[in-house]
Amino acid sequence: MLIHHYTATLSPRDAVGVHTLALDALLNELGHETQLFAASIHPELRGRARDFQDQDRVGTPDLLLYQASTGSPVADHLLRRPEPLVLNYHNLTPADHFDPWEAHVGAELDAGRRQLARLARRAGHGVADSRYNAEELAALGMERLWVAPVLFDPPPLPAQRVTRDPPTLLFVGRLAPNKAQQDLISMMALLRERRPGARLILVGTASSARYETALRTLADTVCPDGVEFVGSVDQASLIEWYGRADAFVCLSEHEGFCVPVIEAMAAGVPVIAFDAAAVPETVGGAGIVLDDKRPAVVVGAIERVLDDAELREQMMIAGQERARSFGPEAARRQHRDAFEAILGDVA
Amino acid sequence: MTDPSNLDAAAYIALARAEIEADAERLRRQDPELARRERELERAWVDVAPPGAAGEQRELLLDRAERLSMIDVDAPIGSRPGVRHVKGAIRKGTYWYLRYVTDQMNALTNVLVRLLRRLDDRLTEVEGTFGLGDADALIDPPAQPSRAVSQAIATVVNEGPAVVLSCGEGSVVAALQDRGLSVVGVDRDPLRILEGVKSGLDLRVGDPRRHLGDLAEHSIRTLVLVGFVEDLAPAAAWNLVMEARTAVSAGGVVVVVASDPAEREPVERDLRQGRGLAPVTWAHLLERAGAETQQLEVNDPRYRTVVSGRFG
Repeated sequence: MLIHHYTATLSPRDAVGVHTLALDALLNELGHETQLFAASIHPELRGRARDFQDQDRVGTPDLLLYQASTGSPVADHLLRRPEPLVLNYHNLTPADHFDPWEAHVGAELDAGRRQLARLARRAGHGVADSRYNAEELAALGMERLWVAPVLFDPPPLPAQRVTRDPPTLLFVGRLAPNKAQQDLISMMALLRERRPGARLILVGTASSARYETALRTLADTVCPDGVEFVGSVDQASLIEWYGRADAFVCLSEHEGFCVPVIEAMAAGVPVIAFDAAAVPETVGGAGIVLDDKRPAVVVGAIERVLDDAELREQMMIAGQERARSFGPEAARRQHRDAFEAILGDVA
Repeated sequence: MTDPSNLDAAAYIALARAEIEADAERLRRQDPELARRERELERAWVDVAPPGAAGEQRELLLDRAERLSMIDVDAPIGSRPGVRHVKGAIRKGTYWYLRYVTDQMNALTNVLVRLLRRLDDRLTEVEGTFGLGDADALIDPPAQPSRAVSQAIATVVNEGPAVVLSCGEGSVVAALQDRGLSVVGVDRDPLRILEGVKSGLDLRVGDPRRHLGDLAEHSIRTLVLVGFVEDLAPAAAWNLVMEARTAVSAGGVVVVVASDPAEREPVERDLRQGRGLAPVTWAHLLERAGAETQQLEVNDPRYRTVVSGRFG
């Protein structure tokens, strides 16, 4: 079967980009021919995909597969195509997180949500990377749905993990309003009053320059020298940061899956997260999920994890088990099952 | 701290979470400085975030509005040689006019913000007068339903998933769990649920109304409403019944455990925020919403009648 596989942006270090490439390889292993298309292609991946407007020159596929994660002209293009369509949904951040910061991004996300509603009516099958995302597709009227997690390679477990004092806390993710890094910085200000020298590492590029500036100003005001913005890092550096972290803290207000939570668990880092969107589903009882993210509560959780060796040990055991359930083999198996059923239907 | 020897990892982590939230709550109650510090940190973010990006807290929004209400005009009025005098005069005239307009705008917005602040003060005063503020701190929360109430509920409820809102220490949750139902309890106070969590019940900290609003349509079979229903005004009670009807599936049951306001002690009658509704009134509302109701007499000093409504 010839599958034309679409994504808005194909990037080597972005969760959807990594997933797209891994799924493409899996479909090839299953004996299907694939061609990747994107609206924006990272220079490192130029040879791997073509511009989506070139599709007409490549021939007629048996199936269209779309990685839906934002508003994009790719979706409008697909809505005009007659071939069967499969939607692989990674969630869209609600626009109101971006509206005050980058109104154009908010507008793009709003457009994405409208596109999603049309795509859901048009697509025969959907694959969502969490039950949370699947419920959104079901609410849009989709019936043939599968849940299969994001495909990615979790980092290896460091040879030995020791808790250091002062501690290092880590969050990995774009600097974006829905990820609420300001709450991490506020929490850090309180933590450093009790544990001077504690530091917060924020890995990830800025999706909004205005938001980044505000975060840096806040950090300079309430927590000078306590927060390190390290930007985008390669896989080796990322593994190193997971190796150095004493806890992974995620206070995001919206996540469709949150790959870094699983990466942290795989690396043996205890996870503390705020109960929002798909985060509790991804954590799955293997980390501390808080209903309240006021600084005192989060600091209490961090101190408990740092001081209670037994809890840390239990979180590490549970986390690794959880990470295994999302590991490459398990995730590939779920995708294989989903796509064998879908492609069987389409054929 | 908990002894982990008898617990598996997930249960141990869940218990640790409950203890963390309870500790933070306890600390916040004991140390007002902590709440002040949290507020300071929140304000620091409000100062650098654009309007609308840092929540909707009244006082913070007013502070923000006050700062934004002042427009500062700093127009360049110097000029290069040559036609210096003419250009300078034009620029000074423009500057004078801009200053004149912005002064008026500043005065207007400043008055509006002052009025908002006055309104805010009045609202705070009204809340204080009518006990909408901290009056609850003067009396204990409603007593937990006794074993008799839990048993009565268990006789009309036989299907899960079930949710108990304002579950307290979890006596109703335990009774339903003993009947083999899948049941979750939600309560605002982490200190109250702690004992229940320790005994293995699935109790979570959260706002009961918000939890109900977050439930998917027709996603549960049984909904038990306790505690927070004690002081609802009629409109809020009706909204609650409608939300409850949406949450339960066809054939699902909504149970209301509420005391009769007419039978309350004088101190509670005087100090409880709202009057609340009598069980018979709850039954009336459930019937209006389309439920078949049943009223069970119970041997409990506070909750003498438990009302259940089954939606078709």
